[in-house]
Amino acid sequence: MAPITTASNEETHGALLDALDLQKVPKPFRKPDWKPPQRRNKNLKQILSEAQRAQQSIITTQQNSGASTPLPPTDGTITPASLNPNPAQANNDLSRVVLEKNIAAQQTSGVVASLTANVGGLAVTPSVTYTSIAAAPSLKPKKKYCDITGLPAKYTDPKSGLFYFNAEVYKVVKNLSTTQVQEYLAARGANTVLK
Amino acid sequence: MPHFTRPIHTQSGRNSPKPPPTHIYNISEPPYQGQLPTNTDTYRRSTPNTAIVIDNGSSSVRAGWQTDATPRLQFPPLMARYTDRKLNRKLMFIGSEIYFDGTARGQAKNVYEPGSNIVNNWDVQEGILDYVFIRLGIDGRNNGVDRPVVMTEPLANTGYTRKVMSEVLYELYNVPAVAYGVDSLFSYNYNGGTTGLVVSSAHMSTHLIPVVDKQPLISQATRLDWGRAHCAEYLMRLLKTKYAGLLTSGKVNETQIEDLVRSHCYVSQDYDTEMLRLLDWSGLEARDHVVQLPFQEKEVVQKTDEEIRRAEEKRREGGRRLQEQAAKMRLDKLVKKEKDLAWLQQVQEHVQNASTKKEKQELLDDEDFRDELALDRKIKEMEKSVRKQRNKDVGDLEEEPEEPHTYPLLDIPDVDLDEDGIKAKRAQRLLKANHDARARAKAEKEAEKARQAALQQQDDMRREADPDSWIEERRAARLATMQRIKDRDRLKADLGNRKSQASQMRMKTLANLASDNPLNRKRRRGQDKEDDGFGADDADWSVYREVGRNDEDEDDEEEDLGAQLKAIEAQLLLHDENFTEEKTQEAQRDWTKSLVHSFLRGPYPFDSESAKESNQFHLNVERIRVPEVVFQPSIAGVDQAGITEIAEDILMQRLSYHPARNNILKDIFLTGGYSLFQGFEDRLRNELRAVLPVDVQLGVRRAKDPVLDAWKGAARWAGTVEAKPAFVSRAEWLEKGAEYIREHSLGNVFS
Repeated sequence: MAPITTASNEETHGALLDALDLQKVPKPFRKPDWKPPQRRNKNLKQILSEAQRAQQSIITTQQNSGASTPLPPTDGTITPASLNPNPAQANNDLSRVVLEKNIAAQQTSGVVASLTANVGGLAVTPSVTYTSIAAAPSLKPKKKYCDITGLPAKYTDPKSGLFYFNAEVYKVVKNLSTTQVQEYLAARGANTVLK
Repeated sequence: MPHFTRPIHTQSGRNSPKPPPTHIYNISEPPYQGQLPTNTDTYRRSTPNTAIVIDNGSSSVRAGWQTDATPRLQFPPLMARYTDRKLNRKLMFIGSEIYFDGTARGQAKNVYEPGSNIVNNWDVQEGILDYVFIRLGIDGRNNGVDRPVVMTEPLANTGYTRKVMSEVLYELYNVPAVAYGVDSLFSYNYNGGTTGLVVSSAHMSTHLIPVVDKQPLISQATRLDWGRAHCAEYLMRLLKTKYAGLLTSGKVNETQIEDLVRSHCYVSQDYDTEMLRLLDWSGLEARDHVVQLPFQEKEVVQKTDEEIRRAEEKRREGGRRLQEQAAKMRLDKLVKKEKDLAWLQQVQEHVQNASTKKEKQELLDDEDFRDELALDRKIKEMEKSVRKQRNKDVGDLEEEPEEPHTYPLLDIPDVDLDEDGIKAKRAQRLLKANHDARARAKAEKEAEKARQAALQQQDDMRREADPDSWIEERRAARLATMQRIKDRDRLKADLGNRKSQASQMRMKTLANLASDNPLNRKRRRGQDKEDDGFGADDADWSVYREVGRNDEDEDDEEEDLGAQLKAIEAQLLLHDENFTEEKTQEAQRDWTKSLVHSFLRGPYPFDSESAKESNQFHLNVERIRVPEVVFQPSIAGVDQAGITEIAEDILMQRLSYHPARNNILKDIFLTGGYSLFQGFEDRLRNELRAVLPVDVQLGVRRAKDPVLDAWKGAARWAGTVEAKPAFVSRAEWLEKGAEYIREHSLGNVFS
């Protein structure tokens, strides 16, 4: 437990430890018999997949329950609501539904998109989710930069796929080991991942 | 035919060396700021409506009372909770206080999962809230925290996160009312914005939110997953690949890398052109920042002259003493040997004087000698050795001339000798062979030397006689050697590639050898069918040289071409006026012209022995490469559009028919820690100007305090009238469900 700052040395370290320790400080504002629910630390992937599943189950019950009248398609051209070829799953595909809902709402209201989407008076699908506001991939052509030096690269090494700037850098590229090559590619997101 | 009107200046000569770096940066100490104070005054003076405002950020948590001007607590969202072995008790530390101790720092956990802006670790969140409430002086007199709480959350927060947060606040802390809001919108409001595009580039993510008449269009908002934390991680990766082995083993930790990002990086205005010019020699010392890692100086103990002298004397003394001791020992041995010799000589006399054979034999047995001959031999040996030693040490006796080696027995045929004689003859033959071999070797060496000398003489004569053609000859030899080196390297590289000509020829040779009917191999008569006769002809073995692929043996085997080249160049340097230092191979590998050297070590010479220089790294390209990712995420492999493209997409496509679009463009508002990079605002303005229509008015501005304005905005908002309905009371929360929030113009929508 070596002190690592200039603010303390061996003797004062113990005193500082006591001063900073929060375990022994009374916290009367906490409810004393509070027990946190088990397993509440969820990472993003888990949260999103659970939300997805919950929404899908709601949609399924809504569609077959007869509680709301199904809306006819708004325009003449019938664009598929989902890219999924399986019709049963296509109906439940959430991502397209969000977009469609927004476009439909815009067209009906005309000016400002309403903030919640309604189907027959019931709020079914959210118009905004954590994933729906994620940015789309870029449509502009990607510029290549040398993996070693970072300068704009005109050439690609056919053996490893690394971009390089000139012949001198190429000499370095030729002599890289496989692990180093994969590290350079990983910085660009182009390394091979074996599952 | 190219026609030049101006002379072309080729790069010749070394670039002028630069002075050593003026400023060497050090990496930062861990950010321990001492204990944050506990102040209970405000609590005692506050009304039940004074809200506690908490900006739950991923870089730092900012908390304070609604009435404060700035947040009185700012600390990173870390907690370390562990049991100390020595003191045998549980310890808990929060925020920057963990940096006071190495163990605590190792056990620290972050509220946020790395790479996301959603709260992940709820124990840490509870710890943080405990800390905030303790430091704000809450004493729990009404069974819990009895002030309303305003908290920030990320845009489009997931329902689960909000549910657990509300649960913690209402159930555990018994907060009377809670309101949530989005931090960038608070900041925008604080800076007086009504219609515009909020570009919030923060620690874990970048959001772009269009706002019209104070209402955010959340459905048009976009989030790019890049922030300051990702910058730090990217810089760490770049440095790891650039300086292999230097950053491993935890020498540099995340806080130090973040510090480096903050102090050295800036946003370039024109990335491609600036990159191309960056590693140019001129001005490189200004652009290249040298960062020194802690290192251990290798022990070069400089003794003063006195000490050196003293050490030498001691050594000499010791040597002298040892020598004396050795001499004494040798003398003793000599005396002992002489005594032995005298004794043996006595024995010999006795033996000679003894009358009967039996007596002789007895006497000899006593001394363990087989017969008289043995005794004789032993005596002769001892005499010789005594004489030699005496000579060496004392120098009394003269050296007897060496007897020439005679081999008399070799001439006598075997049949004439007895057993002993044969043995003796064999011994003599061996001796003779040895002696002859040694003489032959010596003769050969001398002959070789003579030959070399003769060659050199010839060469010199030729040079003096006809200098020009000699020089030509040498030059041709030099070119030939260089060509051979190149060929050898190319061959080696080719053999690695499976489809090259060299590789295929090699395969052909191998297949030929292994086949049943090899070419060019006629079987001799009298051999059986399996024997293919490989090796009978000496030339067969050269196949190994062609086919073998060993990289290790090749280099120092037959011709050390590198050494040859150096020798030739040395000669040329001496005798040829036109062959200057420049043209030698050495100069061509000049480090001042090397791009890779400028990249790795800047414009300074590199001494690989020096521990100080081996523990330095140079930030030149990384300074602009790292922040550039927010404009071009594909640089770091993030498969999303950059902020210019996102802004363009929102403004030109999604909101193209929106009536307020032009007003939005007049107020593009930057907030968040990332916008603190120098040059960020100008760069964004220039890029947007390029993609927007000409007649549109564009305005870009930055928050007055991009880091703290979110908290300040939330604090100010908490006191306004329109904030009142935004608070959700505990009863309402219990009734309407765990994920319920009230929507307001500075927060998320309830879904």
